[in-house]
Amino acid sequence: MSDHISGPRAVADPVTDITDVFAFPSPESPRHLVLIMNVFPYAGPSACFSDAVIYRLRVRSVSIAPNTRAFAVGAGEFTFDLTFDVPAGSESGGQPVQQGRCTMTNGKTVPFRVNDENGAGAEGLHVFAGQRSDPFFLDGPMAAQTLATRQLAFKQVGSDRLYGKNVLAIVLTIEWATVLEGGPLFAVVCETLTSGKRPIRLERVGRPEIKNISLGAKIFDPVNRDLEIRDLYNNEDAFNLSEHYVGAYRARLNANLAFYDGLNGKTDWPLDEHGDHPLTGLLLADYLVVDASKPFSETSYLEIEQAMLEGREHSTCGGRWLNEDVVDFILTLYVNAGNGPRIRDGVDGPITWSSKVCPYMAPPNRQGIARS
Amino acid sequence: MIAATHVAGLDDIAMPPITHGTIAMLNLRAQIDSLEPDVRRGHASIESRVGLIELITLRGLILGRIADYQRAEEMSEQLVRDAPADGTAFVARARSRAVFHRFTDALDDIDRAERLSLDAGITNHERASIYQALGRYDEALAMREEAADRRASFENLAALVGLYAERGEIDATERMDAESRRRYRGVSPFPLALLDFQLGLMWMNKGRLDDARASFDVARRRVPAYAPAQGHLAEVEAAQGEIGSAVACLHVLAVSSDDPDYAAQLARILGDVGRAHESRHWCRLAATRYDELVACHPEAFADHAAEFWLAAGANPEKALRLARMNVEVRKTPRAYGLLAQAVAALEEKV
Repeated sequence: MSDHISGPRAVADPVTDITDVFAFPSPESPRHLVLIMNVFPYAGPSACFSDAVIYRLRVRSVSIAPNTRAFAVGAGEFTFDLTFDVPAGSESGGQPVQQGRCTMTNGKTVPFRVNDENGAGAEGLHVFAGQRSDPFFLDGPMAAQTLATRQLAFKQVGSDRLYGKNVLAIVLTIEWATVLEGGPLFAVVCETLTSGKRPIRLERVGRPEIKNISLGAKIFDPVNRDLEIRDLYNNEDAFNLSEHYVGAYRARLNANLAFYDGLNGKTDWPLDEHGDHPLTGLLLADYLVVDASKPFSETSYLEIEQAMLEGREHSTCGGRWLNEDVVDFILTLYVNAGNGPRIRDGVDGPITWSSKVCPYMAPPNRQGIARS
Repeated sequence: MIAATHVAGLDDIAMPPITHGTIAMLNLRAQIDSLEPDVRRGHASIESRVGLIELITLRGLILGRIADYQRAEEMSEQLVRDAPADGTAFVARARSRAVFHRFTDALDDIDRAERLSLDAGITNHERASIYQALGRYDEALAMREEAADRRASFENLAALVGLYAERGEIDATERMDAESRRRYRGVSPFPLALLDFQLGLMWMNKGRLDDARASFDVARRRVPAYAPAQGHLAEVEAAQGEIGSAVACLHVLAVSSDDPDYAAQLARILGDVGRAHESRHWCRLAATRYDELVACHPEAFADHAAEFWLAAGANPEKALRLARMNVEVRKTPRAYGLLAQAVAALEEKV
């Protein structure tokens, strides 16, 4: 699953578990950039944000470094820290009401009420936070089966364990030219951290399926075959990886990416002279890259990165839109580099598609909807 | 604006804030509510079913709800029937069986899980819990220490705290307690509240009521719905002469919980202060419920029922029969102490 249940710490407390991150130019207004952070997989109706967690969205200006085919991430950073109160009272005897606030790097704060469909706005920022339908879709059991059998196990019609499930969503709509610094190319990463004087990072997510599909399997790793690497990876600053562990992440990615590349019986990604898979360096720079100046696009995930690797100008906004089938995209990229047929997991959509109107994500599902 | 939870009395440990207990309970319910329909329809993975059993057991532990333990036991029995080749299913059933003090059956399940190649770290963790409950402290300690040596995580050290506390080793408990809390990296209040509660029990057994009160109070403030912490806090308050608040708390618990311990405590305290009529009411309720539970789960409720019949229930013959049954199940110092009390009470009556 995208980043659902991505390590022991996330399993222990889902309120800190980031499931997905999205970044796209607003379909409603080209002046706005939309950032979405989802947490709490399998959230039932009573789910609340924690009052002990900072839900942080980090944005940095980024450019493509000349002659390196790598991103140069700016030092300046703009953060949106969302914090929440203990729920109090109730709306007509129902769920208690939770208040929250979004504090920006510039010190400005936007207060809001959780599950308020209209959200709240000020200072070039609109905030929505509340329960929504989980937009991610994947045949998880067959992804696991693929690892176990070392053969593509996906069926024509797959089974999605997230079908009809909900998450807690944070949706920020930002007037990017006035609020953010630099741009229009931005790197985005989301984090959960303990609140208090010295925040401790609990989770961080940039791209989908890095920790689960790409890093999760241990069996191919020639260096750390018994290491649950994901919590270590979660601890890291996405913009400044620790030199002590980067070798472990690199070895794991090289091994797992080579496994996926071999699934169709041929090598589409020859390793370089250091034994590195061509995607490893790119994936280690684990943040979404979005071009806020480009028009909204429904299928532009990783286009900026691919253009960079190919040495051409990108043509889309990149980033990640809610309805894009990223699993099929990732499988195809990993298995045949786009040189062969599209690799499908047999699950082609969530229970309800997201809309192009704020807060974009579909309303929460009733509990107990049968899976497809 | 309401700040994140800071529990007075333990802030000096300089831990990051934890999620407020009200939110934690809402989120526990949210997890259960989301997973249960899938399990009912047979759509859930083994992993999800094991997770749901753990969540329901945790809710039972916090709310003092026997119905949750029974539900977890039913689910784990079904899980083993559905997945007889999965070691995690046997571990889930072993936990449920251990909750109801079916320790021999639980150990059999652990052995089965091991034969199904489940990691020895997991099976030994479960086995140590059962050995501890059986009073086989030395064997439990060896396993707990080995686990802590291998990985000094919060979970492994907290398990040692529980064992030292049950053995009444105050210095070792306090040292390990501080060390385990230092290693806590989560924001859930449940693991810390459970640790506070274990400390409270140790202080209570040592007769250090002020310390017991402090520990139970911290546990209750971390998770306000934590019924056993509330119940023991009320017990300590009553012992310290604060009858009014103890009775008020136990009254709420006796009405809301399906565990007769609260009605039994309430009956005892009311009887001690001469409120005989009220005491009889709660005594009748507790007696009926203990009889029901002993009929269904004799191993699990023999000890508490014996305590009840020794106190407010005033039936030492019944207490002795149950205390003997309890010693058959678990040969702990507490079980032998209870048996000795029952024998003495009967001799006194005769």
